[in-house]
Amino acid sequence: MADEARKKEILEKLRNGVIQYDEDACREGANEAVAEGLDANEAIFDGLVSGMEEVGRLFEAQEYFVPEILMCADALYAGLDILKPHCKQMDLGVKGSVVIGTVEGDVHDIGKNLVKMMFDVAGFHVYDLGRDVPLDKFVDEQLKTDSELVCLSAMMTTSMVGMPKVIEKIKAKNPNCMIMIGGAPTSKDLADKWGADGYAEDASNALKEAIKMVAFLKKLRDEKAAKQ
Amino acid sequence: MNADLLKQHLKREGATLVGIGDISEALSSEIMHLNRGIAIAVNRNLNRGTVEILSRLQGLAVSWLSVRGFRNLSIPPDSDRQKDKLITKLYKLFCHKTAATCSGLGWVGKNGLVINREYGSKLSWATVLTNAPLLPDRPIRESECGDCDLCVRHCPSGAVTGHHWSVREHGKKLVAYEKCAALKNVRQSIEGKPNCGFCVTVCPYSRNGKKKAANS
Repeated sequence: MADEARKKEILEKLRNGVIQYDEDACREGANEAVAEGLDANEAIFDGLVSGMEEVGRLFEAQEYFVPEILMCADALYAGLDILKPHCKQMDLGVKGSVVIGTVEGDVHDIGKNLVKMMFDVAGFHVYDLGRDVPLDKFVDEQLKTDSELVCLSAMMTTSMVGMPKVIEKIKAKNPNCMIMIGGAPTSKDLADKWGADGYAEDASNALKEAIKMVAFLKKLRDEKAAKQ
Repeated sequence: MNADLLKQHLKREGATLVGIGDISEALSSEIMHLNRGIAIAVNRNLNRGTVEILSRLQGLAVSWLSVRGFRNLSIPPDSDRQKDKLITKLYKLFCHKTAATCSGLGWVGKNGLVINREYGSKLSWATVLTNAPLLPDRPIRESECGDCDLCVRHCPSGAVTGHHWSVREHGKKLVAYEKCAALKNVRQSIEGKPNCGFCVTVCPYSRNGKKKAANS
């Protein structure tokens, strides 16, 4: 096990690699973490994801735009690919699987993909239906996979109208399933009105919400660790 | 901001043509802040490893912009073949043809390819988008193919429709790509090489380009 100073150095390398969208730095940091016996989960959350949180802040501050976000996410994935095989399956106290997709009539999936990525990192099993997904497909997939969570995304008001139909159908068949919606035209009010359980606020960037979720999961993990 | 320095720099390093286009009209919201397109072209005739050369030139343009504190996004020459990363999703929001026409380096020919007055369709393109306020070149907004219909007549799959391109009629179908693709599949299975390239070689502009290259 590397000493504390070295550990800090590696985590910093991973974090900065993501922030500066430097894939090579992330790979290098990840390889060092593996070689020197750093805990892979720690490297992911306190290194890569911590960097992505800063990216989210830069995005809100309009220092970063969508291209930077995507490049940062690519850098994160570059490190993640190396670290993931060394990961202990994370027990966050929130076990589960999630069905995610962009609703019918909508081909915007950048936000959806970022959310998906964060679920991936958090150890969820993700069933990604992609974009322009027929409404019934969500219902079928949820039943088939018995997922605890369904996430619906839409970027346009024209496609958003499909959401309440999906929510109604899923709730009719499986009232225990949690549903979250997100995307530019959606709102907390709409989520409440349609009976969704959660709302990814300000969804022109679904990333922010994903980061919150991961931060939340992280908190759960930490709380759980504190109890032990 | 004058772009001559950048242009000279890239040409010294092997670019055949470099142009600056004001591309504000062609941008979707994700990349709206990057309203200048630097079109970089390399003559395929003269070089092997065109993609490598273009990628290197792009890298040079990116560092030139970065040290001056500007944002940039490279659309690589083979953007359609890159799919394994998230950033590749943005590539399809912008095509090299737009940068080429906006920077006045050519028009879209009846063959659906950028035609440059000097080099025809024998150029390979890469684009760097940036927010640097570079002085744009004068765009080309209408086709200069005129009455020539050699590519229409020579296309073995009959895919070239013969319509004129114009900036004002965005999305007009110039080439029936499904026909072209079908022939490519056949050729791939028989000869192992998908492209026939007739639409490039018959173009008078491409032929002049070749002659010029041979003479120089």
